[in-house]
Amino acid sequence: MATMGHNNLNAKLVLLGDMGAGKSSLVLRFVKGQFLEFQESTIGAAFFSQTLAVDDATVKFEIWDTAGQERYHSLAPMYYRGAAAAIIVYDITSTDSFTRAKKWVQELQKQGNPNMVMALAGNKADLEDKRKVTAEEARVYAEENSLFFVETSAKTAANVNDVFYEIAKRLPRAQPAQNPAGMVLVDRPAEGSRTASCCS
Amino acid sequence: MYGTEGGIDMALEFQSHIPILRPSIHARRANLTVKFQDLYGFTVEGNVDDVNVLNEVREKVRQQGRVWWALEASKGANWYLQTQISSTLKSSLTFSALGNAVTLKKLIRKGIPPVLRPKVWFSLSGAAKKKSTVPETYYNDLTKAVEGKVTPATLQIDHDLPRTFPGHPWLDTPEGHAALRRVLVVYSFRDSDVGYCQGLNYVAALLLLVMKTEEDAFWMLAVLLENVLVNDCYTNNLSGCHVEQRVFKDLLVKKCPRIAAHLEALEFDVSLVATEWFLCLFSKSLPSETTLRVWDVLFYEGATVLFHVALAIFKMKEEELLTAHHVGDVINILQKTTHQLFDPDELLTVAFDKIGSMTTTTISKQRKKQEPAVMAELDERLRRLNSLRADNK
Repeated sequence: MATMGHNNLNAKLVLLGDMGAGKSSLVLRFVKGQFLEFQESTIGAAFFSQTLAVDDATVKFEIWDTAGQERYHSLAPMYYRGAAAAIIVYDITSTDSFTRAKKWVQELQKQGNPNMVMALAGNKADLEDKRKVTAEEARVYAEENSLFFVETSAKTAANVNDVFYEIAKRLPRAQPAQNPAGMVLVDRPAEGSRTASCCS
Repeated sequence: MYGTEGGIDMALEFQSHIPILRPSIHARRANLTVKFQDLYGFTVEGNVDDVNVLNEVREKVRQQGRVWWALEASKGANWYLQTQISSTLKSSLTFSALGNAVTLKKLIRKGIPPVLRPKVWFSLSGAAKKKSTVPETYYNDLTKAVEGKVTPATLQIDHDLPRTFPGHPWLDTPEGHAALRRVLVVYSFRDSDVGYCQGLNYVAALLLLVMKTEEDAFWMLAVLLENVLVNDCYTNNLSGCHVEQRVFKDLLVKKCPRIAAHLEALEFDVSLVATEWFLCLFSKSLPSETTLRVWDVLFYEGATVLFHVALAIFKMKEEELLTAHHVGDVINILQKTTHQLFDPDELLTVAFDKIGSMTTTTISKQRKKQEPAVMAELDERLRRLNSLRADNK
């Protein structure tokens, strides 16, 4: 849950999507500014944190980057439970991954936190010549489901930070001031606006 | 192409080529983070103290080697195989066999020297026996029969090959990828219920490094999934893994009640970190020699050791964990701890001396107790998801 205190917000964010869509690469780009052609496959989930300054407030994201293989989906509720935000990632060169992304959206709409801010990210936008999912198709779907949509490239860094900033901006509005479930009170200011701790 | 009969001798090769690192006085003063290769060729990061610990571990490994050679000299080669008879013929147990069994258990907890690992693991895990029940050419025949076949499992395996310990000097080469691919693909056909599960890529990769031949690595993977670990850890919905996680949570409450209470207050679910430990058998979290020391015991004593080790990681950091106030801090403590456990004895001493005994029978009972709840939970989830799909039609 996103929780507020002294203009600081702690927000749990989960990344969901098909295997190899680029979830870990998006996080690595956002948290460390790096890109690896071959990112180790994630098992269970990996945790990262990153603090952003948005307007007068800071948002500390606690990011759960989950495993993409279908059989791992039975573990997903543990990671999206109480999440304030989700990024559902698909690969623009794979229609299967887009289908998978829609299933995640459905599941979160029914099972997730009702105030969850959801973003749909069409990753690998640098691979235009291999594109299978049009931006238009995804945009229409996102509008129908009130998702924030953007195409990203973890490789070129295009739009990656924007997704997180946009989520950060939308958080306080989407979140009631008091939320009893999963409250974490922040009693000290977050250290700097770009401090990152990362673990894989 | 790398033949199934040929040996790769990775462990040995690495040990002979890796120079003993002598950190300079400057590095010492600056407390720099340095990158170095460990015993199995993995690049790891640590400070100067870690380098020193790793050098000590190398020395201990050599000493342990001398102990094993001395035993072979006095008791005869393959002496450790005699202890296996004792489990089936308890009534006619000879003193020497009993003595050997006790010696062996202690010895294995102190570590099997890397050079002897292939031989000792293969015999004691039951892999040799498993292999002996099928024709000699089983692995080669299956490799040829499945060549060129494309299944969902093979596609996922291909996708993961370059993502399995990227940067490792042998695994991340065309030869390494090809060997790992064959082991995983052949296994996916041997057991179509498992097929391919992410996580097995790391396990099989490490087995290849230890066992030296692809075929032996394959049989170790088979015995691991079919006999050593609990059923269904890697199948369909990972139900076996869910069961293990529930058993682990109960054990944490019993064995480390203060930590368990504190983490519960933080709403920290230990499965958030422990799932990866159990699915990759620690290979993604612990340094390689430490992981393999855990596996030494795993192949001889069984899957209970995974609980010992997981509990030990929490136990070692009890005081620090009790001062953590955020989920992120807890995770950072645990990840820093596991990544820096270069001294296997530091971990295993806690695992076996400070956790208290847990018999396989007790653990089995606990698993039986948790199974219905896990099945009910997974069925419920499936029903909800199916109803979602129906709604949308």
